[in-house]
Amino acid sequence: MSRPRRAAWTVGPVTVLALAIVIVGAVFGRTPSPSSDTQAAQAPDRLQQSIEAAQQRLRRLPGDWQTWAQLSLAYLEESRITGDPTWYAKAQDAAGQSLAVKPNGNLAALVAQGALANARHDFATAQRLASTVVTQDPYNAGAYSVLVDAETQLGHPAAATDAVQHLLDLRPGLPAYARASYDLEQRGLTQAATDLMTRALGSAVDRSDIAFTRNQLGDLAFNAGDLAAADAQYAAGQKADPTSITLLRGRARVAAARRDLAGALASYATLTTRMPSPSYLLEYADLLRASGADPSPQLRLARAAHDLFVANGGVDGLTEAALAEAEGNPAAAVRAAQAEWDRRHFADVADALGWALHLAGRSREGLVYSGLAVAGGARSAVYAYHQGMIELSLGSRAEARSHLAEALAINPYFSPLDAPSARRALADLGT
Amino acid sequence: MIQSVALLLALAHPLGNFSINEYVGLTVGPHQVSVVAIVDSAEIPTLQDRPAVDADGDGTVSDAERAAHATRVCAIVASSVHASVGSDRLVWTVGPSTFDYAPGAGGLSVSRLRCSLSAAASVSPGESVSVENTYLADRVGWREMTAVGDGVGLDSRLPAVSVSHELTDYPRDLLASVLDVRSGTARVVSSGSSSGTVALPTGGDPVSRWLAGVDRTFQDLVGRGQLTPAVGLVAVLLALLLGAGHAALPGHGKTILAAYLAGKRGRRRDALAVAGTVTLTHTGGVLALGLVLSAGSALAGDRVLAWLGLVSGVIVLSVGVTMLLALVRRGRAGGHGLLHRHDHDHDHTHGHGHSHAHGAGHPHGYDHSDGHAHDDSHGHDHEHPHGDGHPHNHGVHDGHGGHHDHDHVHSGSTAPRRTSRLGLAGIGLAGGLVPSPSALVVLLAAIGLGRTGYGVLLVVAYGIGMATTLTGAGLLLLAVQRRLARTARGSSSRWASLLARVNAVTPAATATLVLLVGAGLAVRAAVGVL
Repeated sequence: MSRPRRAAWTVGPVTVLALAIVIVGAVFGRTPSPSSDTQAAQAPDRLQQSIEAAQQRLRRLPGDWQTWAQLSLAYLEESRITGDPTWYAKAQDAAGQSLAVKPNGNLAALVAQGALANARHDFATAQRLASTVVTQDPYNAGAYSVLVDAETQLGHPAAATDAVQHLLDLRPGLPAYARASYDLEQRGLTQAATDLMTRALGSAVDRSDIAFTRNQLGDLAFNAGDLAAADAQYAAGQKADPTSITLLRGRARVAAARRDLAGALASYATLTTRMPSPSYLLEYADLLRASGADPSPQLRLARAAHDLFVANGGVDGLTEAALAEAEGNPAAAVRAAQAEWDRRHFADVADALGWALHLAGRSREGLVYSGLAVAGGARSAVYAYHQGMIELSLGSRAEARSHLAEALAINPYFSPLDAPSARRALADLGT
Repeated sequence: MIQSVALLLALAHPLGNFSINEYVGLTVGPHQVSVVAIVDSAEIPTLQDRPAVDADGDGTVSDAERAAHATRVCAIVASSVHASVGSDRLVWTVGPSTFDYAPGAGGLSVSRLRCSLSAAASVSPGESVSVENTYLADRVGWREMTAVGDGVGLDSRLPAVSVSHELTDYPRDLLASVLDVRSGTARVVSSGSSSGTVALPTGGDPVSRWLAGVDRTFQDLVGRGQLTPAVGLVAVLLALLLGAGHAALPGHGKTILAAYLAGKRGRRRDALAVAGTVTLTHTGGVLALGLVLSAGSALAGDRVLAWLGLVSGVIVLSVGVTMLLALVRRGRAGGHGLLHRHDHDHDHTHGHGHSHAHGAGHPHGYDHSDGHAHDDSHGHDHEHPHGDGHPHNHGVHDGHGGHHDHDHVHSGSTAPRRTSRLGLAGIGLAGGLVPSPSALVVLLAAIGLGRTGYGVLLVVAYGIGMATTLTGAGLLLLAVQRRLARTARGSSSRWASLLARVNAVTPAATATLVLLVGAGLAVRAAVGVL
């Protein structure tokens, strides 16, 4: 045997063996992938791990613009899960850092900035950023995620559906399913939306993902008036993540619908101290009013929280309109809703503007917007209730009767204050 | 679908306008344990609590109301901060407490509560003080803890100094997460002067420190946004240098090389071949693992490395067993005629306590190159870049300068030579199997930056560097060995007979040693894996 061949005899098998062992090690070294809810409850927090990993890496490689952009998105995700808004500023700075390192052609940072713009309700900016990215990189699933949300909220349903289809094709998974489900819900296809969300549950691994998915399923069931199914979903979600605030809110709404006002109020007291967001505080105030208690301290808190949001450059005409309404200032509510409508033609905004106009004594104008809210096909008890009440004030009794009955048919528990009001109005209308 | 969670903006308070931030400062003295607890409430919680502070409901908060509120809440804090010395639960006495408002964002106020808690306790050296903060555990915010000794020395993972200056100046580092320390322990180590945490020394010996420095520079180079030809060339040269330096550290089969050459009364070609084997295994392993890790998101690098460590240990173990068996067989077959001289140069210089150049908390960042859009309002992404910061299991290929391999084989007999070559290959495999973390990091970093080819080039350069050192070491050994042999021949018969006697015992001893080292490695790795 010649010497080189002998060397090859030694080196060849060794290399092959090394490769084999690496692959075997890789297979055995796989992290266990939990599939059921309870297993996931013990799973480590992957988001936390990824944040720490990125932080450590960037301490060493501060010029790694990709990781800066990823860290920005991870901070944003953390904000969504914990509700702690601290992360927004960090997400913004991390994206800025990425752009500072690589100012040109940095699509990852643009996606991060787009996601942040969505979170801050600056949907036009988000849409612009995401569109820029997908023209340059039509396979960027992250950009399509941002684009779906922006187009939906801007009231461009066709563009939103197109983007969601791209997203489903490029990266099917929880983010795509959740967005597609919301898209279906906007079209009134509640059953299809539920089916898709159920499929999404199968791909949820992290606690927070399971909690999120269960919450969406619970909301879908609740909005269809199915209290038992809603409660079951929320409870299953709480099993995966007992600390979730959104799931606590879901259960509180079910309790209120079942006339357990004391339980519902206790839950709202807990969740609004943990997460004093204007929308939760407004719901709490509604519930207090329904139980005959004074809602004004909660309204003051909601106002303070919203003022802080605005003082920091946030824009949210919908919350502003709801607050002004609750404070008995319909003129301010109209101004806020109108301003939001000028920014985006989304169904929620049309509904809010219609209702504000009605409360301000401009019911005829209001009816136009109220009609626009349902034009996209969304099945919402709230939209139908508003439409019916506006029609009632305009003397269109038949239409009012039909819309009020529709509201109660969709979800007899849609609001602790408005559902009883719909019932009374319907009774007054007679049959 | 209300996602109000996402609607709130980051506000003026560093931790958000609805955070409640807590600090617990532990002081351990020989006769007393005390705590300063501070609660810094942002605008919204302060507003929420205002009715409770304004006891008479007149819309203003008087000094008396503030003092009463401080006393009331500090009592709750005292019952929520659990501390014990050994197993004895401490009962706090609440000392002076204050509650103050300060102007916050949007015309609102923020508030700050300060509670002084103390408890008599005799704390002797060796005892531990543990403390846990459960006050308002479900609220968003900063949680910090410090520990200092007052007249005693403390050993604790808790820092001695508050990074937020007791919640007055929060760090705004982009790479720091909100602190969330809710419990800790401090062990009293002496009754001497006070001390906080002892900072861990970062380096080992000067060579390791120097290598670590080069390592960092190198990784920074690879991570740079712009890659100019000059920078690229420097990085390749550095990779060569690093590989050479890395191979100079304990492990990597230098002992094998020595033994091989000694056993075969080596030739220069053998030095090259063996060094090449280890280097190829190592380079191939790094490339394979790097590519596998960067492709599969479900893989945990630390687990993979732990498994490789186990495999490596088992290989060494089985080689040891084979060596012993061969000895036994040969002993039966022909006695001493087959035993040879074994000058084995173990490179024991580095000893077992290996100070690896890469330090402990090596952040082996491997990231995914595509930007995952994590979510905003209606859905979310769940593919996170996978965590790392694995404590890589270096113990396996490094540091045990105890890879004693002895080629007990002799020219002429083909069968034993085959066995021996397999044994050598096994040990070489074991030595080169667990990838060098710095090579792996460089490769993953390059892949993360979309420069896979460049990363491969660097790893290959790294391997060539390793090969250079190993070959150099082999040639050096060869020279030393020949010289020794000449000396032995030329010296007295007493010297020669001593050598012969040593040689007679060595094979069994080294085979046993290889077996033991292999068993040790396998068990240690198994503890990590199973």
